[in-house]
This record gives sequence, structure tokens and C-alpha cells, in this order.
Amino acid sequence: MTGRGTGLLGACAGLAIIAGGAFAQEARTITVATHYSAEQMAPLLACFDAYEAEHPGVTVEHQETAYGDFLQTILTSRVGGTAPDILNVYSVWVPQLAGAGALEPPPAEIAEFIQSGYSPATIGAATVDGQLWGIPTELSIYALVYNKALLEQAGYAEPPRTWAELREIAEKITRTNDQGNIDVGGYAYGTTVAEGVHPFYAQMFAAGVPPFSEDGRSTNLTSPEAIRILDEQAALFRDGVTSNAIAVDNFASGAVAMQVSANWNKSGWQDAFGDQFESTVGVAPIPTDGPGGTMLYSFLWAVDSTSDVKEDAWDLLRYLSEPREAGLSCTGEAMQGMGAFAGGNADLAAMTEGADAFDRAYIEEVTSGRAVTQPNVWQASEVDRILRGYIDMAWSGSMTAEEALTAADAEIQAILAEQP
Amino acid sequence: MRRLLSSKAAAPWLFLGPAILFALVFVLLPVGFAAYISLTDWDSLSPPRWVGLGNYRYLLTTDPVFLRTLWQTLLFALGALILGVPLALGLAFAFSRSRHQAAWRVAYTLPMVTNIVAIGFIFTFVFRQTDGALNRLLALFGLPGPGWLTDPSLTLLSATLVFVWMELGRNMLLFAAGLTSIDESYYEAAKLDGAGTWQLFRFVTLPLLRPTILFVVLTGFISGMSYFTLMLVLFPGTQGGPGRAALTTGQYMYQMAFEDLRMGRASAVSYVLFALVFVATLVQVRLLRRGGLEQT
Amino acid sequence: MAESSLPADLSDSPGLGRRILRLRRLAWRLLRWALLLIGAAIMLLPFLDMVLGALRTPAERLARPPVYWPRDPQWGNFVRVFDELPLLRWTLNSLGVTLAITFLQCLTSAMAGYALAKFPFRGRLAMFRFAVGAQMFPFFIFLIPWFFILRYFPLVGGNGLAGQGGSGFLGTYAALILPFAVSWYGIFLMRQFFLAIPDELLDAARMDGAGEFLIFGRIALPLVASGLATLAIFVFLYHWNEVLWTMTVTRTAPDLQTLPVGIYLLRGAFEEEATKSLQQAAICVSVLPVLVVFVALQRYYAASVTSGSVKG
Repeated sequence: MTGRGTGLLGACAGLAIIAGGAFAQEARTITVATHYSAEQMAPLLACFDAYEAEHPGVTVEHQETAYGDFLQTILTSRVGGTAPDILNVYSVWVPQLAGAGALEPPPAEIAEFIQSGYSPATIGAATVDGQLWGIPTELSIYALVYNKALLEQAGYAEPPRTWAELREIAEKITRTNDQGNIDVGGYAYGTTVAEGVHPFYAQMFAAGVPPFSEDGRSTNLTSPEAIRILDEQAALFRDGVTSNAIAVDNFASGAVAMQVSANWNKSGWQDAFGDQFESTVGVAPIPTDGPGGTMLYSFLWAVDSTSDVKEDAWDLLRYLSEPREAGLSCTGEAMQGMGAFAGGNADLAAMTEGADAFDRAYIEEVTSGRAVTQPNVWQASEVDRILRGYIDMAWSGSMTAEEALTAADAEIQAILAEQP
Repeated sequence: MRRLLSSKAAAPWLFLGPAILFALVFVLLPVGFAAYISLTDWDSLSPPRWVGLGNYRYLLTTDPVFLRTLWQTLLFALGALILGVPLALGLAFAFSRSRHQAAWRVAYTLPMVTNIVAIGFIFTFVFRQTDGALNRLLALFGLPGPGWLTDPSLTLLSATLVFVWMELGRNMLLFAAGLTSIDESYYEAAKLDGAGTWQLFRFVTLPLLRPTILFVVLTGFISGMSYFTLMLVLFPGTQGGPGRAALTTGQYMYQMAFEDLRMGRASAVSYVLFALVFVATLVQVRLLRRGGLEQT
Repeated sequence: MAESSLPADLSDSPGLGRRILRLRRLAWRLLRWALLLIGAAIMLLPFLDMVLGALRTPAERLARPPVYWPRDPQWGNFVRVFDELPLLRWTLNSLGVTLAITFLQCLTSAMAGYALAKFPFRGRLAMFRFAVGAQMFPFFIFLIPWFFILRYFPLVGGNGLAGQGGSGFLGTYAALILPFAVSWYGIFLMRQFFLAIPDELLDAARMDGAGEFLIFGRIALPLVASGLATLAIFVFLYHWNEVLWTMTVTRTAPDLQTLPVGIYLLRGAFEEEATKSLQQAAICVSVLPVLVVFVALQRYYAASVTSGSVKG
């Protein structure tokens, strides 16, 4: 009896020494890189602290980089051998990152966790050629966002359903100042690559023609639908309905009546419109003559293949993605704060429960099956940049829609042909 | 040993030692490395693959953007000289004969000591189309307010104007120093010969100012050709502004290397650009030195 | 024959002629003054625009049309940015890195310039030509190779003998400083200054048995002190504002970021129109320290700007 007792004690002491030794020698730091600001990260930072408290010896650090610099930053750090351990990556960057061997495939139990807790469409966004690369986080969907007050002033109670209607409404609303610059725009685009390319892709999905072929080796950019969409966009510029003087950023000023935007802008608009938010901001399906549809994209938590704390990294990610007693997971809470959706089924269900009209309109796009996942094409950031350049040419009138898309197609085909 | 180290024969090599070591590691090695890499296909994560002159061939014959960026870069560099040098010269005339030089100097050189990121940000606000300071000013005179940073036909000009603004003070100071170093007696002599203001300028000032002009033009050209930090800030996200109309070769190379991981092709770009700058510089030296100014 | 500046018929009546001459001079002076004034306004107004921008309230920014003159100046923005951004850290990084580069460049330039100016040795001409020629290489050609040389530098930062395994100098201050340790222009400039020192002075010291390093440090260097100061100011201001290289090597090392790089990479922090005033306030703050130094030292700065052209 006593012998067993001392034996147990001894074993415990031994374990404690080993454990203590392990702690002493392994002060591990997990670096997490995201494009979220400290304010957006607040719920996750709190979870980092909680995780650190539960796991002595582990330090979690956040590294923030502006979205526009994010891919360049992680690639440069990869090349420089100073990569963070955990990356919050945009799903379309995955082929390039995975192709370069930068990502670590999730271990079996994490893969299982994802398979059981996420919808197939969401998992699809994190998968390239059948290989899953991480845990889906932010889910963003494109839809037509409109300013109800501006539409009402112009005599319209309902948002447009076709592009012709959109154009008619926009024309009525657009007001210019003494210099001829648009003060209040009926319709607006943005200046970044995504703000030009994503609405275009979304319109293509709405017209029933995906921008890229299923296998990601060719494009549909020269299809009649694509040319028509770009031509109609260019017509808005040509006829002074929109211009580069007004951009999606101005929506918060009440200076834009309609635009195609993703749901994550919600918190910014809530700040800007305050208690007028519900009565001002409306969401509708993307106007089209086609069968209807839109694009959704996602971000995912991935682990760098050169990380020396991979196990801890996956453990932390699981911790961040698991539903908690309060309802939402850590990731889900951060997404909700931004007005974005989280990828997990449990999170999504909890969010749908407390959704307002704004959220419901976006969720409707997903549940109705209209929203299609943005294809993970090869060198996506380069492809998008090229396309944006040619879209600009069409908008400014220096090329016709057909010329611009034909040139873009040639350049993009050359890149797609490089993939193994 | 100590003797040897401090002897007059060994001393110069010891003094030169750090510079020679630096030259090997940070000049000769990189130049050779870049040349080798430019002949390969390299994403920097897997071993380079030899492609011979493939990158150069691609850039000069296939790439639809590269030649355009070269042209835009040249327009930027030459445009900045054409607009900036006469302006700086005129201001230098006024400056060198005015009182309160210290105050003027502060005003004109302020942009030079302001970091380029701040300058870029300052002008993204000044150039805003609907509510920027510049268009508000133009509106006061009933003039139209163009999209300085959003209209593809204007973006390169806007970037050039900012560059001229940045460099104006430096060039003015250089010219002013050149002007004050011209001896009054030359002017006296020319006046006695009955030369008018224009003739004084054309036949006395300009020739005597030639070394300064050479310096200003050369350094301005070289920095203009390799410049793009400004564009990074002025056109965030869109890489050289709408329609890539203000994309310069330097920025194209940077993107290629650190965003698309095409190190080989990017190195080839840097070599082509270097060759161009080198030849253009030689030509300029020849042109501006002509007329008996062989003083080194 | 060229027309005289004073028409002949007027010289008959000296009073009138002199008056016209005086008027003409006055007109010229006014013209010069106007030119300088307009130019100065163009130089300064953008700065004013930035300060005004930093003072606007979010409501003034979101108003349609937006308000230009802030009615309720938000001076607090200049304090708030210190809470939101590591401005102090950036400033200290900038200061440390720039001072280190300035010190190294002055040292190496003085040493090499001295050797090239004051010692007749085999290979001197070749060395001199190299220093002049190396200035021809534009910075962008080094960008990619430097990155990888620092990355794979043997036996540094966890790297093995073959340069594999770690991240070399990347992620350390050395990556920001080492590539700029030597300036070919600086060597060229210092050589010019040393050339002006008479050889007899140095030979006399040698006669007295002084070692070469002693002669350099005690006799030659003090004589070019003003030249060295000129170089120092020039180098300091140039590298204080360097962005591209620092950004490339500190993207994932936020602790090493300098003032301009920090401001550039954090442009996403105040992206929304309502918060742009804070962005502009941060820019104001980033510009201020060097402005103060510059206004105090502007006379020397002007000398350092022009030194290159006159001496070259």
C-alpha cells in the first residue's frame, strides 16, 4: 500500500520534473498574421490571452498588415525565412502559396474537425485539387447594397432587379457639382483591385457564366455575357452616371445610391449611419437579366510549413474555431464584430438566429444556393491585377469592352498555362 | 607586425579594407548574382531553372506591359526634367538676388526633408477629385476639377508634378550656388560689348552654368528612371493607378519579385532598365559636355 | 549689334532716364519677389492642407459636400495617434538606424577617401575609377540580390556554413544598416576634401615618427571636419527618409520598422473616411522631428546639397 503510494508519488514527481523541464526549455511563441486591425481583432486577442493562461510557456503574438500588403508580406517573409506560424489567408491565394510549399496540410484530427463542422461550399473554398489547407474563417458575399433614402427621394421604393432598371435609377440620382464632378452618385465602383474585379465576377455569376472554367485552365472573359457586362459598366462612366470621382468609400457619406459590396462593410456603415442604419442601408440580389447569382469568398486559418510550433499552432486554431458556451467561437465573435460571417455551421446558425435584415439578405444568397465560391485559380492576385487594369481601360473609354477583355484574356491565359 | 601595419606601404590598403570588403559582398557579388538569376526561372523557394535569355526575350517580345512601363518611366523622368529644370533655374535667378535667403531656403527645401511616404499621402489628399485642395482652388477660378489620381490620362502627369515639387528646392539651391560662383567680371565685360539681358543669359550665364546643369540633369534623370516609392503611396492597391497608366518599370519589377515571386524575370527587368539608364547617361554627358567643358 | 539696355534717345534727359531705369529695376524686383512668393506658396500649401485635414471631425469629413475649414479643430488627434500607433518606437528605430548608417558612411568614406587622396600606390587609379563607376549602379539592381545575400549570409541568424537553416541578417537591425555601410559618393567627396591638405604636413608628422593611423586621426581628419559634417547631414537626411529597402526587409519585423515604413504599412489602419483625420495627424507627427532639426541646420544643409555639384 505504502509502497504503491510512494511509487505513485515518485511517478508524479518524475512527471512533474519532466513536465517542468519541458516547460522550461520550450517557451514557444506562436505568431499569427492577419489583415485585421487591433479593433477588429479584439475578441481574438482576448482569446489569445485566455489560451496563454491555459497553456503556460506559450505566447501568442498578433502581426497586423494592411490587406493591400498582406500577400506581399507573407510571400516576402516566406522568402526571407521569417514567416509567421499562422496565416489568415484569402482562399484564392491558396493555390500559389500551396504550390510554393508554403502551407502545412492540417493533421487528420483537424481535417476531421473541419469536415464535420463546416458546410461543403465553405470547405470547397479552402480546398485546392482535393487537398484541404486550413480552417475556414471569414465568409463574405457580394450583393447590391443601396441607400433607401436616396432611392426614395428619386421616387423608387424597390431596388432594381435588372441592369436596365439600375441604370435608370442611378441616372436620376446622380448629381454633379459646379465643376461637373459627381457629388452624389447613382452608382459607384472602388479603386482597389478587388473593388473593380469582384463586382465584375459577381455580375458574371449572376448572368450564369462563371469567370473561369471548372478546371481553372481557361476563362470565360470573352463570352458575350462578359463583354456585355463590362460594356454596360463602361456606359455608366461614358454617360456620367458614375465616375472615378465617387467611390464605394463614399457610401458611408450618403453620397452613393447603389454599389455591389460585401457584407463585411457592415460595421463601418453602422458607425456612419448610427440608428439610421436599418432604415438607410438596403441589400438586394445583384441586378441581372440572367438566372441570378453572386460570388462568395472566404478566408482561412492556415499554418506555415516552416513553422517550428506546428502542433501548437493547430491546437490554437482549433481552440479559436470551436463553439464556446456563450455560442460563438472566438473566430465567430470577431467576424460578427466586423459584420462578416464565420464559416462554421454552429457559428453560422447562431448568427442567423440573431440576424437583422441586412444579414438575412446576405445569408439568403447562400442558403438559396445563388452564391458561388470564387474559384481558386492559379496566381489569382496577379490575374486579378491584370483584369483590373483592363477594366479600367474600358471604363475610361480608351478600349472597348471587347478589346479590353480580349487583351486581358490573352494575358491571363498565359499565366494559367504555367500551372503544373 | 605593428610596424608593418602602420607602415606607409600597408596603410592605404588598411584604410581601403572596409570599402573593398563591402564592394565584394554588396556590389560585385550582387551584380553577378542578379545577372545569373536573370538567366533563370526562380521563385526563390525551389532551385532556379536555367532558361538562358528566355526572360529577356519574353520581356522584349511577348510581355504586353514591360515596354509600356519603360515608355512611362521615360516620360516621367524626362517630364520631370523638362518641367522642373527651367522652373528651378528661374527661381534660382530670383533667389540668388533676393534678401532673406534663409527664409526662402526653408520654404523651398521643406519637401526635400519630408519623407516620401508623407509626401505621397499629402498629395493623395490634395489631388482628391471632389474635395481636394487643388480642385477646390481651381473651382474658385471657375475651372474644371479633373481626376488627378483617377483619370488614366492624368495620373502620370500628377506623379511627375509631385516629383518636380519635391526636387524643386534642391535644384534651385544647386543652380543658385552655380550662379553665385560666376564671376561678376564676365557680365561686366559682356555689358561693355553691349549685350542685353537675353544675350547675357544666353552667352554668359548658360555656358558657365553648364557643369551645374549637367549635374542636375544627370542626377535627376537617374533618380527619375528608378523611382516608384511615390507611386506606391499615390496609387494604393491599383499598382500604378487606373489602367496601369502610371506604372513605372521599377514598380513593375518590385511587384514581379516580391508579389509574384518571379525573381528571374524581375532581375532581367532590372538589367534592361540599368542598360537603358547607362546608355542614356552616356548620351547626356556627351551632349552636355560638347562645347569645351572638359573640366573634371 | 545688340541693343543697349538703355535706349539712346532717353539718355538725353538724364532725369527721366534714371527714373525709367529705377522703375524698371523696381518692376524686376517685384517680379522676382512675386515669383518667389508664388513658388513658396506652392511649396507650403500642401503642408497646410495636411494640418487642416488632421483637425477635421468625422462628421465634417462625411458631410456632403465635405467641409474644408475645420470648425471644431480636433487638436486631440495629434495626441491620439500616439496611443494608437507605436510612433515613438518608429522614431527611435529611425534615429538609431540612420545614425548608425551616417557614422559608418562617414568613417568608411573618410578612410577610403584619405587612402585615395594621399597615398601613391599601385592600383590607386583602378580603385578610384571603381568608386566613381560604382555610383552608376542604380539602387534597384541591388534590391533582389541584397535580400538574398542577407538571407543566406553564412553563420548568421541560425544559418549554417552554407547559409541554410535560418534567416540570416533578416529580422535584425543589421539588415537595415549593412547594405549602406559604404557610400561611393562619400568616398569620392572625401577624397576631394583630403586632396586640399598639403602633403608636407603629413610628411612632417611622419618625420616625427607618428604612425599612419595617428596621422589620419589626429591631423588629417580634423582638417576635413567641415567636409565630414556636410557629408553627415546629407547622409542622415537621405537615409532618414529611405523607404523601399527598409520596407522590404521589415515587413514581418514590426519591431524594426522606421517612421516612414510604419506609416506606409499602416495605411490600412485608418482606411475609412471618418478616421482619415487620424491618418493625416500621424503623417504630421512623422514629419515634425526632422523639420525641426532641418530648420535649425538649414544653412549647413544647403551647403551639403550643393557640395556635390561644385566639387564634382
